[in-house]
Amino acid sequence: MTHESLTHGPMTRGSMTPGLMTQRSLWIALLLVWSLGPMFWQLVSSFTTADALVNDQLSFWSRWTLNNYRDLLSTDPPFWRYLFNSSLVASLTTLLTLMLAIPAAYGMAKLPDRWKGSLRAAVVGAALFPYVLLFLALLELARTFALGNNLIAIAIPYSALSMPLALLLLTAAFEALPNDLEDAAKLEGLSLWQRLRWVLLPLIAPASASTAILVFLFAWNEYPVALTWLSRSDLLTLPVAMARIAGSSTYSVPYGTYAAATVLGAIPLLVLVLVFQRQIVSGLTNGAIKG
Amino acid sequence: MTMLLAAPALLLIAVVFGWPMLRYAWLSFHADSVLTGLEPVANGGANWLRLAADQRFWLDAGQTARFALISVSLELLLALAIALLLHQRWRGRGAVRALTLLPWALPTTMMALGWRWIFNTPYGPIEVLARSLGLNSLDLLSTPSITWLVTVFADVWKTTPFITLILLAGLQSIPDDLYSAFRLEGGTPLQALRRVTLPLLLPYILLSLLFRLAQAFGVFDLVQVLTGGGPAGSTESIALYAYLNGMRFLDFGYSATVMLAGFLLLTALILAGTLLLKSVGLLRPLDR
Amino acid sequence: MTLQLRAINKRFGERQVLHQLDLDVANGECVALLGASGCGKSTALRLIAGLDHPDQGSIRINDAEMVDVPAERRRVGMVFQSYALFPHLNVWENLELGLRMRGGSAGARDERIRSVLEVLQLSEQAQQRPAQLSGGQRQRVALARALLRDPLVYLLDEPMSNLDAQLREDLRPQLRRLMIGGEQPVVYVTHDQQEAMALADRIAVMREGRIEQIGTPRELYLQPASTYVAQFIGRPQMNLLPAKNGVITGIRPDDLRLDPAGSPCAILSREWFGANQMLLVRCDRGDLRLVCSGETAIEAETCISWPSDCEHRFDAVSGRRLPSGCPPSD
Repeated sequence: MTHESLTHGPMTRGSMTPGLMTQRSLWIALLLVWSLGPMFWQLVSSFTTADALVNDQLSFWSRWTLNNYRDLLSTDPPFWRYLFNSSLVASLTTLLTLMLAIPAAYGMAKLPDRWKGSLRAAVVGAALFPYVLLFLALLELARTFALGNNLIAIAIPYSALSMPLALLLLTAAFEALPNDLEDAAKLEGLSLWQRLRWVLLPLIAPASASTAILVFLFAWNEYPVALTWLSRSDLLTLPVAMARIAGSSTYSVPYGTYAAATVLGAIPLLVLVLVFQRQIVSGLTNGAIKG
Repeated sequence: MTMLLAAPALLLIAVVFGWPMLRYAWLSFHADSVLTGLEPVANGGANWLRLAADQRFWLDAGQTARFALISVSLELLLALAIALLLHQRWRGRGAVRALTLLPWALPTTMMALGWRWIFNTPYGPIEVLARSLGLNSLDLLSTPSITWLVTVFADVWKTTPFITLILLAGLQSIPDDLYSAFRLEGGTPLQALRRVTLPLLLPYILLSLLFRLAQAFGVFDLVQVLTGGGPAGSTESIALYAYLNGMRFLDFGYSATVMLAGFLLLTALILAGTLLLKSVGLLRPLDR
Repeated sequence: MTLQLRAINKRFGERQVLHQLDLDVANGECVALLGASGCGKSTALRLIAGLDHPDQGSIRINDAEMVDVPAERRRVGMVFQSYALFPHLNVWENLELGLRMRGGSAGARDERIRSVLEVLQLSEQAQQRPAQLSGGQRQRVALARALLRDPLVYLLDEPMSNLDAQLREDLRPQLRRLMIGGEQPVVYVTHDQQEAMALADRIAVMREGRIEQIGTPRELYLQPASTYVAQFIGRPQMNLLPAKNGVITGIRPDDLRLDPAGSPCAILSREWFGANQMLLVRCDRGDLRLVCSGETAIEAETCISWPSDCEHRFDAVSGRRLPSGCPPSD
């Protein structure tokens, strides 16, 4: 360990000996293997024949097949349906959350400090709460108000569950804006709606983007509420569908097909994360700093 | 008044987070199961008495706490190491950072079966590897005393990137000047880590600790799909037990009791932890 | 157009920031609110703009009561200390936003914006964003925006405090020409007494939420109503001798003279500015600041005196002026 390893340090190779550099490269390689190995294994398995999965003695060339994908895409309902359902729910949730959280964050940013502190604490508490504990009561509500098996209705609890994080991020974003800007906009004659539309919202766009992607990922990943609210096979979201496939038969699970499902299911998420990684990182970073 | 703007969002949060707790409290004093025709019938503290004597619950509580504590500790250590690595500047750092984020993006249930296969006896790659190294069959998923470690492993794999990002944010907030000053005073890099980095990183560590502990305590997705709570209930968590009571045994009254008890236990755990940290003086940096 | 404040009271929490403030600004007049930080001058400005609400009192613009009118509808042109330019819009869009929201034809808008840009010599910067502009340019954009408001009142909140001295000198005449020449009353908040003296028709020296004295720069300079005003106006600061017989005597540094027949004193320090120089001397009455021509030769030991009719006399307890004065020296 060197002093440079603790700070950002200049990116000069001169300050690091070759030995240290290869040592670091080793760690980086290990890190990548650790992070990507399991997913890579899924990828490999997805192209492996059922025989090859249980027999590692088969010759290399006879191991590969596209059958897993073929089987997967010919299931009923078709696999892409789950991707669609998840996308739909995630999009609706993101929309709903932003629509409610942005005005709320605007209001909260303006609160006198006295109230703001306790409100913030409550919201942070909600953000930390393990929401799985809520599923029973939420299920009751679903049954009472006939909200089950409805991809639009499920966006409501999803929105509520992701709201604390959204509020924290967006309130911080509004608070970071200089007060003068909104004052100047008021004096220019802009109404509240006009100020939000033309001045404030454009300025918090990075935070909004971060919030949106984090909410989207949350909705996509959520399991307990989806498990209990959705039972019709053509309405399942991806996590529930995967669990159902996994649980269908413990002994003769078609792992190859499941691996193919994992690969296909993961692709949209992986693409999203890679494309929006900067927003994700800054969102989590800001959440940490303000939290 | 601008507070009206905040009302819908805050109301939604209050309802979705507040109502269940109230409902559980009420339900826990009622019998509501197949036996009562799925209608709640007041039964005093019978559910609570049952809970107190329920060995399975306490076993699960212990297992859940153990899982949470070990998992979170490992995640913190690993995340700190990774964050230190990613904090330095080297070519390709951004790309690597993005790639290490991927495990976090995937739904737990999706990878769960993947893990089942990877650790599968006798065909999974781990077993194959063990065999080729001359070891006996590891039987990781069917040995009650070992399987919970597999769940820890899976949990660590998925959530470490999240903590890494938070700690990275913390590292970036430490001005380089502090390290320069420390170095001029003659401190070694290792000492710098202990005396400069860790103290300033403490708020972020505590935040991650708190957040992850609460989440890990509610572990559900992972154990339901990876192990189903087995083998022999050794990986069953409180949340899973509550779920079984509600959805499979259709005993809603007891399920609510279990969940409420779980919540209370978590709160107690966090309070105890806070007191512990306070007594050791670790919470002082937070007094602002 | 006129501006009138009556009995304005404003409190923030425990602190009473403005006490029964009265102010009249006549047609085309520029009044400077001068004072140290925390005296309430910026608060008063915000109340006139409508960005804050007074606890009691009335604010009338052109005899129309404005207290319950929101800032959006008050037709006030304000230049902020930070300029408050919208960072995500370029200069043209910054100027256009308000106009567009207020309605009117695009053609007329463009015409007005174009002419304002020309007057302020910003035509070349029209497509640039605030971050790409210099301090002086940003200030001119802020001015342009206020001008385009075609307001009933101009409010300027320390608009030049972020600029260096040279730039300030260049911009003062421009400011005077554009805003202070017209019919609209102008309220100019500053902590820089030189700026106030240069630009304002009348100066209101504020202290702890009250107007200590309001008058023309000349009146304030020649007849400060209290020690506070006396020390605030005029640079270098007026010398205040220790109280004697319940009276504090004040003499301006430029009224002190080097006089071989005067009191002996020692020179503690000397600052030479070219056309004039400032000396800090120690004599039997205390340490005094003296200003004289830069060409005067200075010895280490010298004697000073001052004409007694240039003395300002203040009550030692209240600080208020006692009848006395210095005849104008022109």
